[in-house]
Amino acid sequence: MNIFLSLFSISLSAILAENFILVKFLGICPFMGVSKKTDTALGMGIAVTFVMAIASAATWAVNEFLLLPYALEYMQTVVFILVIAALVQFVEMFLQKAMPALYQSLGIYLPLITTNCAVLGVALLNIQNNYSFIESVVYGFTGGIGFTVAILLFSSVRERLEDCDCPKAFRGFPIALLAAGLLALAFMGFSGFKVV
Amino acid sequence: MKSFGYIFRLTFVLLVITVVVAGLLGFVNYLTEDKIAENTAKKAQEAMQSVLPAENYEEISLTKEHTDSGISEAFRCESGYVVRVSVNGFGGAVDMMVGIDQACAVTGISVVSHTETASLGANCTRADWQAQFIGADGELSVDKDGGSIDSLTGATVTSRAVIAGVNAALTFVKEVQG
Amino acid sequence: MNFKKQFREGLLTNNPVLAQLLGMCSTMAITTTLFNGLGMGVSVTLILICSNVVISLLRKIIPDKIRIAAYIVVIAGFVTMVDLILKAYLPALSESLGVFIPLIVVNCIILGRAEAYASKNGVLASAADGLTQGIGYTVALVVMCIIRELLGSGTFGAGVLGADGIRIIDAQYPALLIILPVGGFLTLACLIAFSQWLNRKLAEKEEKK
Repeated sequence: MNIFLSLFSISLSAILAENFILVKFLGICPFMGVSKKTDTALGMGIAVTFVMAIASAATWAVNEFLLLPYALEYMQTVVFILVIAALVQFVEMFLQKAMPALYQSLGIYLPLITTNCAVLGVALLNIQNNYSFIESVVYGFTGGIGFTVAILLFSSVRERLEDCDCPKAFRGFPIALLAAGLLALAFMGFSGFKVV
Repeated sequence: MKSFGYIFRLTFVLLVITVVVAGLLGFVNYLTEDKIAENTAKKAQEAMQSVLPAENYEEISLTKEHTDSGISEAFRCESGYVVRVSVNGFGGAVDMMVGIDQACAVTGISVVSHTETASLGANCTRADWQAQFIGADGELSVDKDGGSIDSLTGATVTSRAVIAGVNAALTFVKEVQG
Repeated sequence: MNFKKQFREGLLTNNPVLAQLLGMCSTMAITTTLFNGLGMGVSVTLILICSNVVISLLRKIIPDKIRIAAYIVVIAGFVTMVDLILKAYLPALSESLGVFIPLIVVNCIILGRAEAYASKNGVLASAADGLTQGIGYTVALVVMCIIRELLGSGTFGAGVLGADGIRIIDAQYPALLIILPVGGFLTLACLIAFSQWLNRKLAEKEEKK
């Protein structure tokens, strides 16, 4: 297949049809945790997209040049999480020095990204799908965009949920989950759902 | 020099923990390695037997052109060929075995591994869906394109991927037979 | 040591999934059959006990600054071991849980318990905490699985009691939707609402006393 076509199909499925949050269930914790306000949600989305793209590149390289030649594939999980943790730390330090304004707005979310399953998930899925370097980076980046789209949509729904009148037991978290469920239902349209 | 000592201690503790963990993992890997390889081989063997039963399979060497079209392994046996193809489905690679007899007709397909959406594309492992491929010998296509294969979902990504794999296997066998 | 109180906390008032709202990715993603839920629950419980014990043992040695990195390495080590063992001896489970086994590393429950409990308490208490929290997680998963499997595929115990389980609802009626991601969100929402209601009732009852 044409390389651009395949990259396009990877991007489209990562953003819509195989959305990391709503279809693959990766990164639910930050999705529920920092989606109370639209602007913080956007900040988190950008930070995650950034880290996912860099992490895809870094873990791909580590896997190709360090783990595969020495037949150490079984160390993938340990090595990847260390790489991601170190990467998040570096990004944090770099932003603090180079782009203080951006750092100010993203600062508190950055450490949280280490334990975001979407980041480790994308690293592992890249390997599982046998993606090339470019495909991995594109998958990581567009996966992050998908994350941002979902969290942004969800946060605007949630802002309205704040004032809604719903049964006592459902107040707070459960009603938010129900809203997320409806969002997931909408995203299913992208995968051409057909009830057999 | 307190700070130097402190940094040294940080590094040392982390290093020791990492080395111990790595050592333990190496050991567990050593214990389980053979069993995992055996499981994988057994699964492939079972898939081959299910698409085209034979006593033994003789491996056919592949060119780069073949591997580019997604074929990862191919075998010859007395009644025909078994081709292992990996195609891009919806959620990632769909790895499958295709059995083809001497008359270039499909004898069966079996999906070895896939990451398609549960209850949608994942239905490509259903025996009744796979049975549609048996006996096919020409270019296949999905019902939406006027072909004979029922699609699994509206978007037909998985169905098309599997069909592409079967077509690649058929082309390969025709080429080998000359 | 107050094991009974810990147990009650793990199961109900401080259940990792239903009250602390941790580890939701796996809770929603893999709870489609009883087999998956039990397998995931037991794996996480084992890892949680091991990592709690080791971290509690090392709590005086690990300097504060690098504790998160050290915890992650320890946890990742145990997760990989479980991953390898499952691949070797339970390949069917390993295949159906897929990428969610290595992702136990970033399951907030394990790091959360390490940070909130094991790093401050003794070995035995930490092991007990791992066990009770693990059981709480497993129970939540199993309940999710039973509901989703019954409504979504109309069976009970697929994979545990025979390959297809026991058919309860005729194959043409179940709502496939419940097995899909949507169902995960909806089921968990109802379950959390139920546990909030239950906890409030229990608290009210205690106040009356």
